[in-house]
Amino acid sequence: MPVARSFVTVVISTLLLLVVCAIFAPSSVSWGALSGSLPFAAIIAIVGLGQLLVVQQGGFDLSLPGAVSLAVVVATHYPQQSDALLSQAVLLAIAFALAAGFLNGVLVSFFRLNAIIATIGTNALLYGAVFAVSGGVPSITTNLLADIAGGEILEIPNSIFFALAAMAFVSFMLKKTVIGRRFEAIGANPLAGRAAGLRVRIHRMMAYVYAQLLYCMAGVLIAGITREPTAFQGDSLLLPSVAVVVLGGTSLLGGRGYPISTVVSAFFLNQLSQFALTVGVPFSAQTIIQALALGFGIGVYSIRWTVNVRKSTGSRNVEENK
Amino acid sequence: MKYSSVTKGLVFSLAATVMAFGATNIARAEVPSWCGSKKATLALLDGYGGNSWRQVTTASGKQTVELCPNITKYEYADGQGDTQKSISDIKSMAAKGVDALVVFGDAGPAVLPAITSVFKAGKVIVPYRVNVGGKEGTNYSKFIGSSFVDDGESWGNWIKSILPKGGNLLFLSGPAGNSQGLDELKGMKNVLGPEYVFVNPAPFAVTNWDPALTQKVLTAEIAKNAKIDVIVSDFGPSLVGALPLFNKQGKSIPALATSDGNSLGCFWNENQATNPDFKLFTVATGNDNVRLAVQWAVALATNGVPPKDEVFKAPAFENSVTGQPKAVQCRKDLPGAIYLSSELPAEDQAKAVGN
Repeated sequence: MPVARSFVTVVISTLLLLVVCAIFAPSSVSWGALSGSLPFAAIIAIVGLGQLLVVQQGGFDLSLPGAVSLAVVVATHYPQQSDALLSQAVLLAIAFALAAGFLNGVLVSFFRLNAIIATIGTNALLYGAVFAVSGGVPSITTNLLADIAGGEILEIPNSIFFALAAMAFVSFMLKKTVIGRRFEAIGANPLAGRAAGLRVRIHRMMAYVYAQLLYCMAGVLIAGITREPTAFQGDSLLLPSVAVVVLGGTSLLGGRGYPISTVVSAFFLNQLSQFALTVGVPFSAQTIIQALALGFGIGVYSIRWTVNVRKSTGSRNVEENK
Repeated sequence: MKYSSVTKGLVFSLAATVMAFGATNIARAEVPSWCGSKKATLALLDGYGGNSWRQVTTASGKQTVELCPNITKYEYADGQGDTQKSISDIKSMAAKGVDALVVFGDAGPAVLPAITSVFKAGKVIVPYRVNVGGKEGTNYSKFIGSSFVDDGESWGNWIKSILPKGGNLLFLSGPAGNSQGLDELKGMKNVLGPEYVFVNPAPFAVTNWDPALTQKVLTAEIAKNAKIDVIVSDFGPSLVGALPLFNKQGKSIPALATSDGNSLGCFWNENQATNPDFKLFTVATGNDNVRLAVQWAVALATNGVPPKDEVFKAPAFENSVTGQPKAVQCRKDLPGAIYLSSELPAEDQAKAVGN
């Protein structure tokens, strides 16, 4: 199988960024700096994978901030620093995630609501739950969760392993299982999928459920990585989640998804903001740099580079287009 | 039978009356001078109520209001960090007929028009802590600021005492351009000469007081600066999750000049032995700023005697080097998200933050 163009693009961009970092801000690629910032890249990667699955079905999941924040507050407020209650708290968070996922899925795929509108509504509901659980106040995380999510194995932050595991699982399911192949086919062309006898609506609904489970995982990890997470920790993740999907080369119209590219993009985006911090540019410039990166990402894939490709290999294309 | 129950009833009612009178007398004896004779209603309006500091502050405000029996109704609204909501909260409270409003104007001058319109409608309105611009008597009844310049000077003096020859300082504050951070910097610069170098981008490293962003910012700063002698932060507890990053990069946690918090005090206790450079100095985090603002609002609305102070000055609280005014405080049995410098008893704070 040829390597996807998006993968090549994002890997080259990342390597380029690392070289730029090494020249202009060498400390931002030191191991100490990386191990401090990688957990946040891991979080972006995991929510990005969730968003990817929804985008593959031509949707958008704007309930991400509420979902992540809810997982954070359930994982911190329910146990109240008692390790014994942690597993129950995580199960409770998963239960909330399933409920929100099915709600989104049913609204979008069975009631045919616009994905953006349905998930905004769900987001408001989830924030209602966040306030009900936390009263908007942060709580200190349990020691056990801090060890699991914030700890290190062989000097590598544990959250990296969680992100890699999520990536491996999503990739395997999408690319190597029947259910995953059907999922992608439906995303690419729901009508053809329907004609082929696939259960389009179920697959579409499940995209939102899988996404919620990934958000939940990210939320629980945040609860462990930051010692006293606020009740609104998900807010800053919505834009990056869409950004990494776009940078990873997945079309916003749905279809084929690139989980590995998405995860690499998450590293790219995080390193870029870390680079801006290390160079010490003013806060305003940091925001602009990130916005430019996003614009660059969208530009790379939306400009029709294929025009050039056709010129050079025109004859073959004519045959294919026939 | 009937007669005896009537007697009993009489005796009980008599006893109840005596007790009621007694209670009123006691209450009367405790009524503070800022609580006047006129009856009034009061609302506390928060721009953003979503952290434990605000929760404790709100509880402190409520407790202060309860000291004045002539405040017949007390209301609270949380702007949730949304400027639009804060503005409509202020206007709707006034429209509901509340007599006195105490406003934490997080959005700064953006809420001034709403405050001015309420003031022009004849209400007592007291913005506090965050500078909203405008003038006393034109835009609002009274502004009760907090002297952040003083905080900066306290930190500066302490830094001078532990680091007389100068050194590298890292200053972390909240959102970009917030007036609190700028004032604190002014205070420090009043005290510290050019031999003290701020290694952060001017005027301060932006953290939004968000623990996750604080962690990212600190990661970059530690990697960039081989030597950081003192960290100055105006929200100490948000640093607790980030400080272990120093150990991860093989360095000792440096000295820290900041505001107090139970989690920070306990963190210092646990880590000072393994981090030789980790000295701690805190100023009171200023939950009691709201008390002064409420006292002013109540005094103006009920015709009481206004307090003497017009600016809240946060006293120095902990100093790990001299133990003066206090050694580092830690209450392990209570939640980390409370502030032992606050007048509100620690147990009441624990209730306020929902534990």
